[in-house]
Amino acid sequence: MKQTPYFFILPSILILAFTSLYPICYSIYYSFFNWRWGNEKDFVGISNYIFLLTDKDFWIIIKNTFVFAFFACLIEIILGVLLAIYIDRIKYGSTIIRTLLLIPLMISGISVTMLFKVILDNMFGIVPYFLSFIGIKSNFFGSYDAAMPTIIGLDVWWQTSFVFIIILAGFQSIPSEPIEAAKMDGASEWEITRYIRLPMIRSLLFLVLIFRSIDTLKVFDIIWGTTGGGPGLATEALQTYAYRVAYSFLEMSKSMTVMVLFSIVVIFLTITYSRFNKDI
Amino acid sequence: MNKLYKYKHLVTAYIVSFVAIGVTIIPITWLFLLSIKSKGETFTKPPKFLFNPTAQNYIDLWDNDLFKDTFFNSVFITLISITLSIIIAIFAAYALKRYKIRFKTAFMQWLLLAYMLPEFLFVLPMFAIYQSIGIYDTYIGMALIYQVHVLPFSIWMLRSFLEEIPKEIDDAAYLDGCNPFQAIYKIYLPLIIPGIVATAILNGIWVWNELAIALGLTFFDAQPITVGVASFRGYASINWGGMTGSAIISMIPMILFAAFAQKHIVKGLTLGSVKG
Repeated sequence: MKQTPYFFILPSILILAFTSLYPICYSIYYSFFNWRWGNEKDFVGISNYIFLLTDKDFWIIIKNTFVFAFFACLIEIILGVLLAIYIDRIKYGSTIIRTLLLIPLMISGISVTMLFKVILDNMFGIVPYFLSFIGIKSNFFGSYDAAMPTIIGLDVWWQTSFVFIIILAGFQSIPSEPIEAAKMDGASEWEITRYIRLPMIRSLLFLVLIFRSIDTLKVFDIIWGTTGGGPGLATEALQTYAYRVAYSFLEMSKSMTVMVLFSIVVIFLTITYSRFNKDI
Repeated sequence: MNKLYKYKHLVTAYIVSFVAIGVTIIPITWLFLLSIKSKGETFTKPPKFLFNPTAQNYIDLWDNDLFKDTFFNSVFITLISITLSIIIAIFAAYALKRYKIRFKTAFMQWLLLAYMLPEFLFVLPMFAIYQSIGIYDTYIGMALIYQVHVLPFSIWMLRSFLEEIPKEIDDAAYLDGCNPFQAIYKIYLPLIIPGIVATAILNGIWVWNELAIALGLTFFDAQPITVGVASFRGYASINWGGMTGSAIISMIPMILFAAFAQKHIVKGLTLGSVKG
C-alpha cells in the first residue's frame, strides 16, 4: 500500500502540530493584542513589539541572557574538552570515572538549585563559612556583582559533563592509525591533540556548541530557583522574565511577545545547525 | 625517558579525573549528610563530620502528603509520557527507515525544532486550551505537552537504532508474507528492545526533571516532584530538612536509571548522531 508510511507518521504529525505549531501560532496571534489576565483582548498591532524593543530593561535582560549563555558555553566547552583530552588517556577505571562524572546531568535544575542554596547560603553555608576564615565576606546570590557569576558557576557544575561525555566518545571513535603514525614521527601528545584529535571531531564540537548555546539561552530553573532574576535585574533572563511578566504582572500578550522574539532566535540557531548536519 | 614521559601523562590524567570527581561528588555528598542530620546539628559551626544519623527528615517528607503526592504524580506522568511517545514513535521511525517519504527532510527538521523550542512558549497557549477542554492540571495534559520534547527525541533515537538493522531482514519478512504491523511487532521490536529501554530512560529523566512547563500547567492534582522540591525554597522561613531531603529523593531514581542507560547515553545526548 502506498499510503502506509503516511498512516504510520500521521499520529506523530498530529501530536507535534498540536504541541508545537499551535502554541507558536497562538503566541504570534495574541502578541498583536493587549491582553491582561481577566480583561478583554484588544487588538493593538505591533505595539507590544515596539514597547519591548524600546524598553531599556528588556535590552538589559537580553544582554544578561547572552552574557550568561556566552560564558556558560565557553567555560563548559573548555573544561569539557580538557577533561575529555585527559580522561581519554586513561584505560583502567574509565567507565567508573565516566559514570561518576555523568551524575550532575541526571539531576533536575531545581535540585541543583537546592544543592547550591544550601552550600552557598550566607548564614549557614559551608563555603561562606570557610571563606570567612580568610576574611572574605561572601554573598553569592544576593549581591549585584556576584549573582551572575554564581549562576554561571551552577550551570558549569551541572552541564560540563554533557560536553565531556560527547567529546570523549568522539575521541574514542578516532581510528588509531594516524595517531600511531604521528607518534612515530615524534609528535608530542599536545601536538597530536591539537593537529589530529581536535580537527577530527570538528562536527561534534559544532553539535555541542549549538546544543549548549540553545540550552543556555533557555535558562530557567537555576535562576528561578535561586535569585528569581534579582537582585534588581542582575540575573533576569528571557524565560524567567516571560514567566514573571505573565504570572506577576499578568500581562499575557507581552509575555507571549517575549517568547515569540526568543523563539525566532532559537529557530535561527536550529536551522543553522541542521544545515551543517548531513544526517537531516 | 620515553616511558617516564608517558607515565607522567597518565598521572596527570588520573589527578585531573580525581579533582573532577571530587568537584562533582562532594557537594552531593554534603547535601546528603545534611539531610540525615538532626535539626539541631544541621548548621553547627564548625560543621560536625561525626554525628548520629537520623532519618527524621525523610520520615517528615513521607508524612507530608503534599510532597508525597508530587512524587507519585511524577511517577505517573513520566510513565504515561514515555509509553505514549514510544508507541507513536516506533511507527514513525519504521516508516522513516523503510519507505521513501516526501518532505522527509522537512519532517526531520520540524522534529529538531520542536525539540529545541523554549519551554515557556508552550505554557500560556496550552493553559488556555487545557482550561477549555478540561485537561489542565491532569496527568494526560502534562504527558501530552511533554510529547513536544520526548516524541522527536524518541523518533530520532529509534530511527538510529532501526538503521543498524540490515535491510535484508526486513525484505525476508516481507517475502514470508508479513504485513508492516507484523514486521514491526515480530521482527523489529525484539531486535531494538535495548534501544527502546534506553530511549525510555533518557526521556524519563527529562520528564522527571522538567520544571518550567509544570509550573504553568499544574496547580495541585498533577504537580510533579520538581514543583514539590521547589515548594521548600521559601524565602522567609527555610525548611532545611525539607530542602535537602526532597532534593536527594528527587535525584536518586534518576541516578539509578542513568547507571542502567550508561551505554546509550552518548547516543541519546546527540540525538543518535554519535554511536555510544
